[in-house]
Amino acid sequence: MNVLSFINDKRVRDWFYQIALILLLVGLTVFFVRNASENMVKAGIASGFDFLWRTSGIEVPFVLTGYTQSDDIFALFWVGVANTMLVTVIAIVLATLLGFAIGIARLSSHWLLSTIAGAYIEFVRNIPLLFFVLFWYFGVIAALPQPRQSIGLFGVAFLNNRGITIPLPDAPGNFRWAALAILVSWVCYWLASAWARKRKERTGQDAPLLVIGVGLILVVPALAIAWASLATRWDIPVLRGFNYRGGFVVIPEFVALLAALVTYTAGFIAEIVRGGIESVAKGQSEAASALGLRPGRILSLVVIPQALRVMTPPLTNQYLNVLKNSSFGAAIAYPDVVSLFMGSALNNTGQAIEIIAMTLAVYLVIGLAVSALMNWYNARIALVTR
Amino acid sequence: MNRSSSLSLWRERLFGTPFTGFVSVVLFVLIAWIAIPLIRWAVIDATWVGSTRADCVPGGACWVFIRARFGQFMYGLYPVDQRWRVDIAGIAFVLGIASVILAPQRLKLKLGLVMLVILPPLGIWLLSGGFGLRYVETREWGGLTLTLFISIYSSLIAIPLGILFALGRQSELRIIRLISVIFIEFWRGVPIIAVIFLASLLLPLILPGGIGIDRLARAVIGLGFVIAAYMAEAVRGGLQALPRGQREAATALGLNYWKATGLIVLPQALRISLPAMTNEFIALIKNTTLVLVVSILDLLGIAQASLADPNWVGMNMEAYAFSGAIYWLICFALSRWSRSLEKRRRL
Repeated sequence: MNVLSFINDKRVRDWFYQIALILLLVGLTVFFVRNASENMVKAGIASGFDFLWRTSGIEVPFVLTGYTQSDDIFALFWVGVANTMLVTVIAIVLATLLGFAIGIARLSSHWLLSTIAGAYIEFVRNIPLLFFVLFWYFGVIAALPQPRQSIGLFGVAFLNNRGITIPLPDAPGNFRWAALAILVSWVCYWLASAWARKRKERTGQDAPLLVIGVGLILVVPALAIAWASLATRWDIPVLRGFNYRGGFVVIPEFVALLAALVTYTAGFIAEIVRGGIESVAKGQSEAASALGLRPGRILSLVVIPQALRVMTPPLTNQYLNVLKNSSFGAAIAYPDVVSLFMGSALNNTGQAIEIIAMTLAVYLVIGLAVSALMNWYNARIALVTR
Repeated sequence: MNRSSSLSLWRERLFGTPFTGFVSVVLFVLIAWIAIPLIRWAVIDATWVGSTRADCVPGGACWVFIRARFGQFMYGLYPVDQRWRVDIAGIAFVLGIASVILAPQRLKLKLGLVMLVILPPLGIWLLSGGFGLRYVETREWGGLTLTLFISIYSSLIAIPLGILFALGRQSELRIIRLISVIFIEFWRGVPIIAVIFLASLLLPLILPGGIGIDRLARAVIGLGFVIAAYMAEAVRGGLQALPRGQREAATALGLNYWKATGLIVLPQALRISLPAMTNEFIALIKNTTLVLVVSILDLLGIAQASLADPNWVGMNMEAYAFSGAIYWLICFALSRWSRSLEKRRRL
């Protein structure tokens, strides 16, 4: 083979470029790693993950895992992860509810209602999230009354500038049974709906799924929680001196971060909901009504399934954004994984590379897991074209 | 439309049916409940003239504070006698963009490239000094100036890098595609606040010992990399919207990959992606606020820092209202522009 045709061969060139790129990347990596190890030797930092087993000595104001100062740094890491997850999950639930309400209000035929919803969306989307975080923390919560003048909620929870003090059950035993009951009733609903779908495919008959659904999804859990709450002794906070004793204190940082995440994300979710419902062609609901379906069934059988298909991918993105945005808490020292681990623990140990890698891994692992779950769900509800 | 018919239109809209009327009344009460105290605070009971905290009437907003601090909100701690340099940089930037927009079609691209080469170094020279100008350390930069500086210089990194990775993700070459996907998904998967920490901690660590890298430059580079990943996804939308035939036809005419990309594919794809890229730029302006965590004081940071002034205690609401309004105006204007671009394309 002659040389000219060899170097002009497309496959040869393609491989040449790719190998050159890999060599470049490997070279850069080696360069960076060598610099880093030299710099670390100079600064007297040993690399490796041994620091995780050292005593942390860092006090955390908001702990769900039973961590104390004398535990090791790895335990501190899990405190951060738990706090990140807690605020993320609650914010996603509340933002979804608020976002759906605003999105539907935006589509309302009532001119004023839809204008107000539109104004809210335009207001929230064009202002930085950090602004909301600082505003809720320094503007709203700092302006709440002192503990002595707390705003009482039904006489058991108290809102003041040190957060919300809520009652705590003395023993969690009854709540474990309630959780089990709720889980069992949800599994029953899932089995019942699978059975009803099969029966409908076979015979065309509808099962009274709505009644069963409301019973199993809402009524049974509500009864279980009500029973557990009544059968448990509660530790209700009482004012002693300048502050409340007893109960559980939800710190102001959590309240501010949650409020900011919910109000901000709801604006984005509302736009997704509006876009999703508008994307279902008008002919679809007209055709359904021509077939004699009632309005409720048009919505539940024709419009919502198609809107959900459009809404799922952007909604997933928003949920992942909430996870990532929960790190904005670092600006007001909410003890999430970024501020506890990447902030406090890194300051104490100086193990920059290890700590950064672990922190980023938390977000990447959760993000990949959620994406995989959503891709599976998406494939399940995707349009099957033949 | 005459007056009475527009009046009846409004009556129909708000009180057409009993239920509509009921909803309207509830909403009016809600609006009044929020808006009346707000307007009283911001306008009626507010203090507009004065010079110190003592001039402020309690109960209303004290806009005297904003007046006294206006320079800081705009320029940060930039030396007062050097602020003209920031103004000139801003004017040069606006004139540069205006000249490209107003230039005749055949000169636009050339003029745009010339501006791209001239303006960024000019801006850095004017702001930081040297060559006859006094040095001003980046520690002293701040306020709206810094917000715009970070947004613009980060996107100077993010846009070219984003285009490259978007092309890489569409490439036929498997390894290039894999590297692009990993780059994009990695930066999109991690929080920006963590990236700013990462850049400020790791950049000095991975460079050779002697090279110091400016604090602000670290933040700009960090933000530039994250936004590059988001820009790449915006550009990918445009690349995917372009019919395959365009590249195939260019290749059939004998253009090689880079010529086909630069002359045929990108000019069309970027036009389609422009609204999405503008949205990413809006997100960048909003995320610039996060440099607060490495104690760089942009507009929001300056507003936050001004709360600690013992001469002006309790100005939280005024500082937030003013900085929030500026962010809102900038982002709202950009988002309207992006929406009008999108509409024009659809027509």
